[in-house]
Amino acid sequence: MSALRALTVANIRSFVRDRAAIFWTLAFPILFVVLFGSIFSGNDATSFQVGWVDEDGTPGAGQLRSGFAGTGIVELTDGSREALLEQMRQGDLDAIVVVPAGVGQALDSATSGEPPATPVTLVVFTDPSQQTQSTTIQQIVSQVVAATNQVLSGRPPVLALETQSLQTDDISPAAYFVPSILAMALMQLGVFAAIPLVEQREKLILKRLSATPLRRWTLVGSNILMRLLIALVQSVLIVSIGALLFGVTIVGSIALVAGFIVLGSVTFISIGYVIASFAKTEESANSLTSVVQFPLMFLSGIFFPIEFMPDFLQPVAAVMPLTYLGDALRQVMVGGAPYAPLPIDALVLGAWLVGSFLISARFFRWQ
Amino acid sequence: MTDAQRGPGAGTAVIEAQDLRKRYGPVQAVDGVSFQVQRGEIFGMLGPNGAGKTTTVEMLEGLRKPDGGQALVLGIDVAREPDRLKERIGVQLQTAALYPNLTVTEVIDLFRSFYRQRRPTRELIAALDLTERKDALTKVLSGGQRQRLSVALALINDPELIFLDEPTTGMDPAARRSLWDLVLILKERGITVLLTTHYMEEAEQLCDRIAIMDHGKILEMGTVKDLVERRFQELSIRFDAVAGLDDDRLGALPAVTRVVHEDGEVALYTGDVAATIGGLLVATGELSQEPQNLAVRRATLEDVFLDLTGRALRD
Repeated sequence: MSALRALTVANIRSFVRDRAAIFWTLAFPILFVVLFGSIFSGNDATSFQVGWVDEDGTPGAGQLRSGFAGTGIVELTDGSREALLEQMRQGDLDAIVVVPAGVGQALDSATSGEPPATPVTLVVFTDPSQQTQSTTIQQIVSQVVAATNQVLSGRPPVLALETQSLQTDDISPAAYFVPSILAMALMQLGVFAAIPLVEQREKLILKRLSATPLRRWTLVGSNILMRLLIALVQSVLIVSIGALLFGVTIVGSIALVAGFIVLGSVTFISIGYVIASFAKTEESANSLTSVVQFPLMFLSGIFFPIEFMPDFLQPVAAVMPLTYLGDALRQVMVGGAPYAPLPIDALVLGAWLVGSFLISARFFRWQ
Repeated sequence: MTDAQRGPGAGTAVIEAQDLRKRYGPVQAVDGVSFQVQRGEIFGMLGPNGAGKTTTVEMLEGLRKPDGGQALVLGIDVAREPDRLKERIGVQLQTAALYPNLTVTEVIDLFRSFYRQRRPTRELIAALDLTERKDALTKVLSGGQRQRLSVALALINDPELIFLDEPTTGMDPAARRSLWDLVLILKERGITVLLTTHYMEEAEQLCDRIAIMDHGKILEMGTVKDLVERRFQELSIRFDAVAGLDDDRLGALPAVTRVVHEDGEVALYTGDVAATIGGLLVATGELSQEPQNLAVRRATLEDVFLDLTGRALRD
C-alpha cells in the first residue's frame, strides 16, 4: 500500500472513530438544513403571480385571458413583454405568458371550420430554480391550451406551447440556504483540519512521522485528500436532503458545483493550516477555530443577503472567503442572483488559498 | 573532549559523533559531544532530564540540525542525507504517542507503508508480545504495551541500528524487565542499540558502554566497571555505628583510607577488606560487641554519578 493511501485511510479511520468530528461535519449541517427547511417551507404560495403579454389584442386573446383567470390559482398582471420580464427578474412575477399576434385570427378561423396549417405558439417563461412553482404553472398553461384545442376540436391543434426559462432574483428560502449550508459545512471541515494537526503535533505524532522516510508533501496531501473525500460525502448528503425534503435541485453544471466545492474545501483547509501554525496546544487550536469560524459564518452573507447587513459590516463581508464560496454555490446550484461574477468568486477564493498557503508554509512547525 | 573517543578502529563504528553542538536561545543544550558506537554494541547515555541526551540522539536521527559538528551514522552524513538514513534506522521517541483511534495492527500497517524494506506485521506483533492486543485501539493500551508497540514500530524496517529514547520511563518494574530482555534479544540479533536513560540500574544491566552526560557535555565514558574503577579503587565496609568506637580508632584500623557516617551507619573505605574486617572484629571484641549489619560494597555507577555531577539522579 502506498504511503499516501495508507495515511489517507488512517486519517479517515481516525476521523470516523471520533464522534465529535462526525457530529460537527456531518450531523450538524444536516440538522441545519432540516431545521431551516421546516421553518421556511410553510410559505407555499396559494396563487401565482403571472404576467400576461397580449401581443394580439383581439377578442379571441381576451377570451383566452379569462380562461386563465378562471383557473383561480393565478393572478394576472398585464403589460408589455419587456416590462414584465424585468418585473419577473426582480422577483415580482412567478411566470409570464406571451400571447403572440395572430392568436385571435387563428381562433376565429378554427371556429369557422378552417383551422390554420400551423398552430400558433404561446410562450411561457418560468424560473426553473423554483421547481414546484414552475411545473405547476406550466401544467396550468398546458391544461388551458389543451382545453382550448379540445373545444375547437381542430385538427391540427390551433395553439401550441413553448416554455422558456428565466433566472430570477427571487429564489425560495430553501434554495437560498441549501448552498449556504453546504458552504458553511465545507468551511468548518476545512478550518477544523487545524485540530487533529495540532493534536498530532502536540502528541509528537508528527515528530515520530518525521523520523521515518515519509515525505512531508505526502502527509499534507493525505490530509487534503481525506478532507476532500469527506467534503464529497457532506455535499452529497446536503444536496440530497435539500432535493428530497425541499425540492431544491441543482440547475447549473454539476462539474462547476464540484469545482467550487474542491476550491472552497482546499481554501478552508489552508486556513486550517494557518490556525495550526499559530496554535500551540489542542485547546488553543479549539478556541482559535471558533474565533475564526463564527465571524466567517455570520459576516459572510451565507444566511441572509449582504444588502440586509448594516452598512459598516458590508465591507467586512466583501472580503470574507465564505461570502464568495456561498455566492458561487448559490449561483451554480440554484441560479441565485450573483453577488459577484463567478470568475471573481474563484479569484477571491484562490487569493485566500494562496495567502494562507504562504503563511502556513512560513510559520507551520512540525514539532 | 577529544580523549572521549575510544573503542576500536573506525571501520566498525556505526555512529561517529564529532563535536556536536546545539543551542536553543540562551541554552547550550549540547555543548561539543563526541563519541563512537561500535557495531553490535548497546551504548547508553545516562544523565538527568535536560542533560542534552535527547537533543544529541535527535541530531543523530536526522530530526534536528546541529549548529556545529558532524554526525556520521551507518556511514551516512546525517545532515546531508537524512532521508537515506531514516530508511535504515529504527527510532523510538521519548513519550511519542501513537494515533489514539487506530488499532495496534493498523498503526503497524501504516508505518510499514513508509519503508521500502519491511517485516511482516504479524511477525512484529508476535515478537513484541502484542498478539492479544492486536485489535485494540492504541489509546486503551497500558503504558508497557504502548512502549512495546513503539519498539515494534522502530523494528519495522529491520534496522541495523535502533535508537531508544528513555524506553522504560513510566513503566512498572515487570514491564521494564521485559523490555530489557527484548533489548538483549536485539543485541543477540546483531542490532546496534543506542539508548538514553536516567535509570542507573538500566544502564548497569543493559549497556556495554555508557556515556554520562550533564549540561550538554559527556563527562565520562566507558564500561560500568571502567567508570567505577577509574574513580573508586577501594571498597566500602558498612555496619551500624558501634558505641565507644570513635573515628580515630576506626581510622587507625589496617588499610582504612576514609571513615564516613551515613544515617547511623559507618562506612570504612579500604584497599584490603580482609585486614580491615579483622582489625574491626578485634576492636569490637575488646568492647564485648559485634558489628551489626556488616556489608562489603563496591562503589556503583550511582557513586560515580554523584562524584561527577555533585548530585544524585532522581527517578
